[in-house]
Formats: sequence, C-alpha cells, structure tokens
Amino acid sequence: MKLSAAHKNGSLQIAVLLIFLMPILNFAQTSYNNSGLFSPVNRLKFGNYLFADKDYLRASAEFKEYLKSFDDDTVRFNYSLCLFNIGKYEEASDNFKTLFYGNPFTEKARLYFYESYFFGKDYKELRDLADNQNYKSVLYSKGIERLKNISYLMDDSRLPEMNSFLSVFDDSVQSRIAKFYYQKKNPKHKNPVTAAIFSAIIPGSGKIYTGEIGDGITAFITTALSAYLAYSNFKADHNFRGWLFTGLTAFFYSGNVYGSAASAQIYNARIRFNFDKEVKIYFGERNYFLPKSDY
Amino acid sequence: MKARALFILSFMLFAFVIQAQDYLKLQFNYANDLFKAEQYYDAITEYKRLLLFDSTNTYRYQAEYKIGESYKGGAKYDDAIKYFSHAEKDAQGKDEIFAAKTQVIRSNILRRTTDRALQLLDELEKDSTFRGEIDTIYYWRGWAYMFADNWKSAARAFATINPSHPLKLLADQTDRAKVSVTFAKVISYILPGAGSIYTGKILSGLMSLAWNAAAGYWTINAFTSNRIFDGFVVGELVWFRFYRGSIQNAEEFAVQKNIDIANKSLRYLQNEYKGIKP
Repeated sequence: MKLSAAHKNGSLQIAVLLIFLMPILNFAQTSYNNSGLFSPVNRLKFGNYLFADKDYLRASAEFKEYLKSFDDDTVRFNYSLCLFNIGKYEEASDNFKTLFYGNPFTEKARLYFYESYFFGKDYKELRDLADNQNYKSVLYSKGIERLKNISYLMDDSRLPEMNSFLSVFDDSVQSRIAKFYYQKKNPKHKNPVTAAIFSAIIPGSGKIYTGEIGDGITAFITTALSAYLAYSNFKADHNFRGWLFTGLTAFFYSGNVYGSAASAQIYNARIRFNFDKEVKIYFGERNYFLPKSDY
Repeated sequence: MKARALFILSFMLFAFVIQAQDYLKLQFNYANDLFKAEQYYDAITEYKRLLLFDSTNTYRYQAEYKIGESYKGGAKYDDAIKYFSHAEKDAQGKDEIFAAKTQVIRSNILRRTTDRALQLLDELEKDSTFRGEIDTIYYWRGWAYMFADNWKSAARAFATINPSHPLKLLADQTDRAKVSVTFAKVISYILPGAGSIYTGKILSGLMSLAWNAAAGYWTINAFTSNRIFDGFVVGELVWFRFYRGSIQNAEEFAVQKNIDIANKSLRYLQNEYKGIKP
C-alpha cells in the first residue's frame, strides 16, 4: 500500500512530536518520582510537620533519612533536638557536637551538648568538660556553669567552695540554693551504730532516736512486759512458761536492736530521697535556670 | 496538527492527576498493609504522611480513623481518642460519625474511664440521628459495665438487645457466682472461720475455728484459775488476734474470689468470645 504525501507528512510530524515528547515524559516521570512521598524534600517536609506536632521519635527518623541525601545544619540541629527530646542523650550530644563550628547553631548546639550530659545524668563528664573549658560557649557560659553546679547536688560528688558555687545564680535565689548546699554538705543523718547501742541499753530508745517514737514506746512496753512475764512465771515455778517468755524477750530485744539500726538506715535513705525530690522540683520548676527554648 | 498536540498535552496532564491520585492510594494501601500486619507504629507514621500530603482530603477521615485504631491497638488510648475525635469532625455522613463516636466510647471502655464512656453513650442514645443504632449503644453500655465489674447492670444492658444474648447470660452467670463480702464478714463475727468456709477456703476456715476455740479455752481457763493477768494477755494477744484475723481473712478471701470470678469471665471474653470487642 502506498501512502499519500500528505499522510506521510502527518506521520512524520507525529514521529517528531513523539521524539520531543519522550524526554519530556521521561523528565515528568523522574520529577514525579523525586517529588514522591518518600523523596528527601518530602521527608523533610513530613519531618518538620511531625516536629511541630512534637512527635519527635517519628520526626527523627524522617530527618535521619533526609540527612543521608543532604547535609543541612538546620536539619541536623532539629534532628539532634529530636534525639534530645526522646531521651537519646548520647546520640544527641554526638550530633550537637557536629554543629560546633561554622554555622548559626554553634552556641545553641554547645548549650544543648552540655544539657545532654546533664539530663543523661552523666554529671561527672559534664563537670570535666565544663572545667576543662572544652567547647566553651560565649552566649551560654553562665547557663552551663549553673548546670555544672546543680549537678553537684544530684550525685555523691564533693561540693565545691560555697561562694563559687552560689556566684553563678541570681541574688534572688541564692539563699534557697545555699540551703540546698548546706543540706547536701551536712545531711541530718542518724548513725545506725548509735541507734543500735541506744536500743541495747534501753529497748526502743534507738527507734525514738530515729524519730519512730510510737514504735520505740511499743518496743519498750513489749520487751518489758515479756521480761516481766518471764520473771513472774519463774517466780511462780512455771518454768516452761518462764523459758518461753525468756526466749520471747530475747527475740524482742535483739529484734529491736537490729530494727533500730535498720530504722536509722531507712531514715537516712528518706532524707536523701526527700532532698533529691526537693532539688528536682525546685530546679525543674525553674527549668534549671536554662534559657527558654524557642522551638 | 494543533488538535493532536492539544490532545497529547491534555493526556499528559490527565496522566499526572491520575498518577498523583494513585500515589495517595498506594500510600493508603501501604499504611493499611502495615496496619493489618499489626505494625502499628509504622502504620501511624504512614497514615500521618498520607494526612500531610493528601491536599484534597480524600483519605482524611479514613487515615485519622486508622491512626486512632493503631493507637488503640498499641494501648495508647489517649492518642486513640484524640484521633477518633479528629475523624468524627472530618466524617462525611451519619455512619462515619457514628463509627468514630463509638470508637471514642470503646477506647474509654478500654481505658477504664467508664463514667465518660457511659456519659457518651447516654448522649448518643438521646441523639435522634442515631435512633436506629440503639442495639449498638446498649451493646457498648454492657461492655462498659463489664469492664467496671458491674455485671448486674451489664446483664440488664444486654437483655435490652436480646433476653438470651450470650453476653447477658455470661454477665448473669458471673454476677451469680460472686460472693457477698459483707455476708462473709458478718458470719465470721458470729462463728470465726465461717466466712472463709463460705468463700470456699474450707481448710483455712476450719483452722481459724480451731485456733479460736483453743485460744478461747486458754483465756477462759486462765480466768477460771484466777490467773487474771494471764487471761488478759492470752485473750488480748492470742484470742483476739485470731478472732480479728478470721474476719479479715473472710473479707480478703471474698474480695479475691470475686476478682478471680470476674477475671475468668474477662479472660473468656478476651480469648473465646467471637463477637465484636472494644
């Protein structure tokens, strides 16, 4: 079959059009794939949406994927914040560290770096880093110093000299923080050995020494009554009952000596627990005197 | 020629739109697959992704509803209620609204905030829009009562649907099997150990009775032998201790027995009951 000239011309035009359209279609396909829901740009968009919704765990996963394709300081900082907010402090501090030089987040990254150690309860490392002036922050140096000093109240380390301890805090709060300092330095502990000796001399007195007055009086009455019953039964020639009550008295007596020492230990644990709680509430309510977050 | 070019361009544009729609559908199916595989965390992520990119709100209700279900599946009832409430706001039509509302109620039942579940059920019952759904309302009311350990009210709610409803029979049976804590205590006041025997702890009840009898004998014997001090000491430290102990035991056994009975019924509901569950 022979084609007419006009038909031939038309077919040629379509072929040329298709040749031109092929790259366009190919481009459309490529751009479509790149703008798909899992493209880096859309992952970033989704990450930001989750971050704003405070869904930090999911946001961190999206930012992480984005950072595999592009290195961006803002995303890295937000990714670190996500890790910080979900309690992955070690990972957070590692990521904040990558932002220490040559970007707008240098100062904040340094503050959060120290915060990561503080909230990760790595107080010793925090103090070592702060004391050695590693990664010193210009803007937040006082905040970091405050964190360092608060950390002394959080663990069993030796307190620094009082004036230097208080100097980083505002005058308005120094008297309250000084109280914490004294409570920490001279805790009102009870000696378990003293409590045991007291109860060995006068049953129940060790308990009274540890503040358990009711228990102390009860222990004294029980031991004394049991001892009297032993004595009166021996006197009335009821030897079996006499020995029974003697054994009971020995049981009450030794139990009370041991109980008094245990009571002193419980008292000390309670003092420590209450102190920790008070410190956490006081500083927690004031956000550990840290600058307000703007994210 | 112009017409052909126009046709091709229109086709491309159409293909783009269809492809975008397909993309959302693919994402919705992907999230659904994760949901079906009970990978709730990942399912929530993908439904949320769909929510963000679904600019036409085509899947908004379904995605929010499924996020709610995923949170419920992961026992995060507060978040589940939040998303079911969002779904309720974005629902189209009576059925979708009712489905979202009942899911809020079901999450409240599971969260054991029974008062809130009952309050929402009352509101639903009063709403004339849902007059045709009265059986469903009573069904969930029955479940709310069962989770609140109020089996008598649960039986009444299920009986409203059908007097021989299987859950009505179960609730009745559970209620009948339970023992009275007050009765167990009162009979222990009269005869020590009787309350324990009533709750099925026969050996413990008999031991309690024997200890009370022995301690009573020692006390009375001491008084009759003019050992008044001994009588007071044994009476106070031994007899009274056993007597009070038998009453406390009766109460504890009765409470424990009731918990065991309720747990047995709840286990049946969880593992063997084939009907719809919260």
